[in-house]
Amino acid sequence: MSYFRAIDPFPLESPDWNKLGEFYARLGQGRLSTTRCAGCGRTAWPPRAFCPECCSDRFDWVDLPSEGTVHAFTVQETGLPAGFDGPRIFAIVKVHGHRVFSIIVEGDPGRITLGQRVSLKPLRIADDPKGNPRWLPAFTPV
Amino acid sequence: MRKVALVGAGVGKFGVRKATYRDLIWEAGKACFDSVPALKPRDIEGLVVGSVMPERTAFQSHISSLAAEALGIRPSALSARTEHMCASGTVGLRYAYAFIAAGLADLVMVLGVEKLTQPTAEEAILNMGAGVDREWEAAFGLTAPPCFALAAQRHMARYGTTEEQLALVGVKNHTHAAKNPNAHFNKGATLDQVLCSRMISSPLRLFMCSPITDGAAAVIVAGEERARALTDTPVWIRGTGQALDGFQLTSLPEDYAHWPALERTAQRAYRMAGITPRDVDVAEVHDCFAIAELIAYEELGFCPKGEAGAFVAAGRSDYGGDVVVNPRGGLIGCGHPLGATGVAQAAEIFVQLRDEAGARQVPGASIGLTHNNSGMGEHVVMIYGREAP
Repeated sequence: MSYFRAIDPFPLESPDWNKLGEFYARLGQGRLSTTRCAGCGRTAWPPRAFCPECCSDRFDWVDLPSEGTVHAFTVQETGLPAGFDGPRIFAIVKVHGHRVFSIIVEGDPGRITLGQRVSLKPLRIADDPKGNPRWLPAFTPV
Repeated sequence: MRKVALVGAGVGKFGVRKATYRDLIWEAGKACFDSVPALKPRDIEGLVVGSVMPERTAFQSHISSLAAEALGIRPSALSARTEHMCASGTVGLRYAYAFIAAGLADLVMVLGVEKLTQPTAEEAILNMGAGVDREWEAAFGLTAPPCFALAAQRHMARYGTTEEQLALVGVKNHTHAAKNPNAHFNKGATLDQVLCSRMISSPLRLFMCSPITDGAAAVIVAGEERARALTDTPVWIRGTGQALDGFQLTSLPEDYAHWPALERTAQRAYRMAGITPRDVDVAEVHDCFAIAELIAYEELGFCPKGEAGAFVAAGRSDYGGDVVVNPRGGLIGCGHPLGATGVAQAAEIFVQLRDEAGARQVPGASIGLTHNNSGMGEHVVMIYGREAP
């Protein structure tokens, strides 16, 4: 018997399995979106299927701007998880008043600055177990 | 509520251990029962086990029952596992405290155990990502170092805290660990070594970070009558608190150098104990990264906001200073076997307040504090005293 080791480090993104499936469907089309509560009208980040303010589970999808600014960042050089390469630029990107946690791709780690403009660059990651494509909302310098 | 005290404590060897999950439980159990010879496992009514990811590292669930069987405990009042990431051990202690204070149990063991170094170093780090939000954080490769790096950057920018001041936390805790045979590291460290160690996530270098470690620790908690019958020197639980600011990094207050949840939980614990920060003689704080210890000084009230860098540089958190912080070597020197950490902190305060800490003894220590956190947004504090509440 051979030694077996496996873990899926990415979310299930298909609408069949995830109430936020529409977020990923739009992301695959290059759109950044989130939920607006149909009960009280509050817009959330990240998107959510339950509103802690009015307890509604009804929501609409709204597009966010695809550009933002670097609010904080750090470059991790070593000690990254298996399967994730360094150096890796983790950033908090301000988008339309929301703080969005993400990574900056296709950028020089030594040249990222606070306040820098970045734009959405959906990152294709491993397909899900059924072979459907999956995406994460990454950003790249403008 | 009934008064509650620690009556026994023991810690196994922390490190990259050639030992199974069960071996670690046996070692901590042995050390703990050795500290209170009047007790046998069959006397224990309850068991709470703090353990975060045995499903990933030992492929094992049903933890409390496994530990009970390994140690020969037959729980009759309480048996539970607490998983609360890095604070799991102290959260378990709070359960034991509450059960005993309420009269639902009289004698409870709290054990913390973690076998983290399986099967490879890279996979161990991958596992640590389970402690942050899978969908919105861990899927990007996030683990703890970049989060605390943001806090360090902010503290440096806002208060002028220096890389050298961060390094001094590493020097102090590695130096303390050299006097603790159970610590992961026993060689100490110089300022140069810390400042020249490899960069993990700017500005945090290797020797400013806690390592991935295996380990276990256990304490025995008792109601007043039982405690007084078992020992002349029980260590009393005087206060406790827990508070949450948020789970995801972007749910926390924008100023990552300010941890309001720690300030709130500390104030609550101080009020309950009827003491002020000045009364604390010895503290075990959650130095998962050097910046965490500095921010803890401030939120715990050991020094004013923004002055933690100067506080450590002046030696005020070391022997001979205002309060001795992390005499056992902290998470940086002892390692951080998640569920075991909070219990090992309690075990250190137990020996310190009984004058049994040997080379690490803080002279005359009568009030001790532990601080355990899960990320930057959730904090747990315990206050212990030689005198009953």
